[in-house]
Amino acid sequence: MNESISNLWSIPLFIIIPILTAIALNIMYNRKKAISVTAVASSFALVVISALSPFGFHWFTGHPAVLPTGGYTYRADLLGWRLSLEYYYGPLQQIAIFLASLLLLFVVMISIKSLKKNIGPYISLLFLTFMSSAIVIMVNDFYHMWIGVEIGSLIVAGVVLASGEAVSQKAALKYTFFSALSGAGLAIALALILGVTGYSNISDAIKAMPLSNGSLASILYVAFGFTVLSWVYAGGLAPIHPLKADVYGASFPHATVLLQAQSKLMLVAIGLLLLRVFGTLPFAKEVMLSISVLTMMLGVVMAMLQTDFRWTLAYLIVSHSGLVTLGISLGTVQGIIGGLFQAINDVVYMSVLLLACEGVYYFGRGTSIKSVSGIAKRAPWLAIAAILGAFAASGVPPFNGFQSEIILIQASLNYGMPELAIVVLMVSVTTFIALFKGIYNIFLRPDDALNNNEKTGTPVPKILYACLAALIFITVLFGVYPQLAINFLTEAALKVVYIPWVP
Amino acid sequence: MDSKGLKGSRGIIAVIALMIIFVGVSTSLLQLNGNVARGISPEYNELAPYEAPNNLASWVYDYRGFDTLIETGVIYVGALVSVLAIGRGIVRVKGVEGDAPVAPSSMEFNVSTLNVILKYFGVPVIILLVAYALLVLTGAATSGGGGFQCGVIFSSAYLLGMIFYGRKNPLNLSKKFLIAIGGVGWSIYALLGLPGYLTTGYWQYNVGADLWTSGVIPGVDGMAAVVPDILRQLFGDPFRLLLVMSDGTYASTAGIVPLINIGEAFNVIGAICLIFLVFVYGWNDEEEKSR
Repeated sequence: MNESISNLWSIPLFIIIPILTAIALNIMYNRKKAISVTAVASSFALVVISALSPFGFHWFTGHPAVLPTGGYTYRADLLGWRLSLEYYYGPLQQIAIFLASLLLLFVVMISIKSLKKNIGPYISLLFLTFMSSAIVIMVNDFYHMWIGVEIGSLIVAGVVLASGEAVSQKAALKYTFFSALSGAGLAIALALILGVTGYSNISDAIKAMPLSNGSLASILYVAFGFTVLSWVYAGGLAPIHPLKADVYGASFPHATVLLQAQSKLMLVAIGLLLLRVFGTLPFAKEVMLSISVLTMMLGVVMAMLQTDFRWTLAYLIVSHSGLVTLGISLGTVQGIIGGLFQAINDVVYMSVLLLACEGVYYFGRGTSIKSVSGIAKRAPWLAIAAILGAFAASGVPPFNGFQSEIILIQASLNYGMPELAIVVLMVSVTTFIALFKGIYNIFLRPDDALNNNEKTGTPVPKILYACLAALIFITVLFGVYPQLAINFLTEAALKVVYIPWVP
Repeated sequence: MDSKGLKGSRGIIAVIALMIIFVGVSTSLLQLNGNVARGISPEYNELAPYEAPNNLASWVYDYRGFDTLIETGVIYVGALVSVLAIGRGIVRVKGVEGDAPVAPSSMEFNVSTLNVILKYFGVPVIILLVAYALLVLTGAATSGGGGFQCGVIFSSAYLLGMIFYGRKNPLNLSKKFLIAIGGVGWSIYALLGLPGYLTTGYWQYNVGADLWTSGVIPGVDGMAAVVPDILRQLFGDPFRLLLVMSDGTYASTAGIVPLINIGEAFNVIGAICLIFLVFVYGWNDEEEKSR
């Protein structure tokens, strides 16, 4: 459970490969062949590395830890104060990074196939989105977490801007302005914790936390408040959910696949940080739970009101972020496992729905239920993928959403709050209604223009179908055999509850 | 949002939120006054004489050097995104007619009205600024300064040149060159982690200073690797200094820190100058292709 290795070979590669690839792609700019080879090879390498890597730590710059008894050690399992920046790659990180790299590979292949000219900077930003996700999920350091959130927000703005439309520019500008608060919040929290403990390493800071000193403990409440602010902004939780929904809705649907994965990983990383550092403070979990419930309810209500399928999905992503944070906020082993599993599942089934939406976009009449219909006749496999994705998102067995939502319901009941279980159920039902409203109108409603053989748009690329098939396979796999994913998540949940100073 | 949006209940909520933040932060800072924990910093201070004489340089580019790599990335990404907003790298889906991309027009910028004194005054100032930028860069490990500061000073010289002389200024750097130099800068910084990674397994281990495998500091448990002499000499000797301090004389070297600063300077110059150039003259793919 507590690995001793402090120079795990794979960890730097998760950051350096995306950086170098992004730089190369940006310089290549419109050399499509070179961009295709470089981007696919790099993203495939990331998938392989994440699958094969053992677990352990990496102490960047290779300075040892200072032993309490004097002297230095390179053994990560010994008690010592870290001189270096510390990353950890464990089971949670493995499943999260594997999934993120797989999505990166899919999104890169779809982008190369479907976008025309000058794609270098755009795909460069997709790699950097992966990089920021990998940073936040692996890092065990306040300062670096802040940098991960900061660069992540900027990258999101770039991905949204890439479509160049007015709605994208507006969404990106608003998001950039407000998300600056997220980074700033984390920076102030970092400054206060550094002042109180003298350590930016999260484990060291927890060990040095002056909880018995009443006057200094009050500073921790202020730091908690700012960290929560950062959590809310980075993850798009209520009350700023419209900003994040705009970002999801204004991007290309395939790009939203990566953006929502990044957002979920940030929610998980900052959520676990909140529990580890501030979990013992009275009212901390209650604040987190309130935000989660508000996000879930506002998200589904807004999703029901939308007439554009992209925006329906955007608000559902926000709403389901509340499911993730609900489990984490409960602070019990079962709740945390439920929250983490929900994050993994949510990323997968929302990717199915987003890629199905991408397929609709290729028909050239937008994604509004008012302007597009009858797609099932021209693309029956796309319709099937959307329906299966909707079943998974609504928690229908045998798909993955069912398994994580049932854990969340059980965790809420065991926590003594059946009302939370009712909210989870309500979110499932309203998700189903919101999605099938869109799916019926777009895929199943007869279309006069289609019957007249009107040809618009471009054929849906085969690679999109291949990616959809792979993702649907994962939703069924985790739905039938949930233990496969849960095995990767249990360690993280146990550590947070029982030994929070161990990353 | 205009000021009207802050009237009524929104304004009241904003004021209350700001007051809560202000009270929270200021009372916390007052409580911290005199109670700031030293934590890990004494350890860094103890190690300081073995590395860069400028302690801050060791902190920023060595102990926390990977942090700074990503911070450097913030500047790079900032330029990438800013230029994207102006039009470089806008993408469209094949065969789909979406809304037309927003095309920001370049600034109406005219240098013909500049008076003669300023025009002749400009060249020596630009030369001085560039020289100062180089001075700050070369002194990064021994005094306040570094790659970032060098990049910012150089960029200000470039902006001054653009204001005084327009596009054909003394630092006549093209957009392609700036994009390349920014990327090369961040790559240099990133790849300087490779020698340490290949020899010790630790990314960005300072093979030039080599505090932990060379036996400079005793009592280290667990580092099995040894940095080859050739790497130690290659990255360490060019930057070696003799530090005469009250507790003894130290033959210290900042190792890879000065080289990282060069990478950082390239990155900042590329990023900030590109933002200036594209914000003033815009971006047009066809025009760039014909250049």
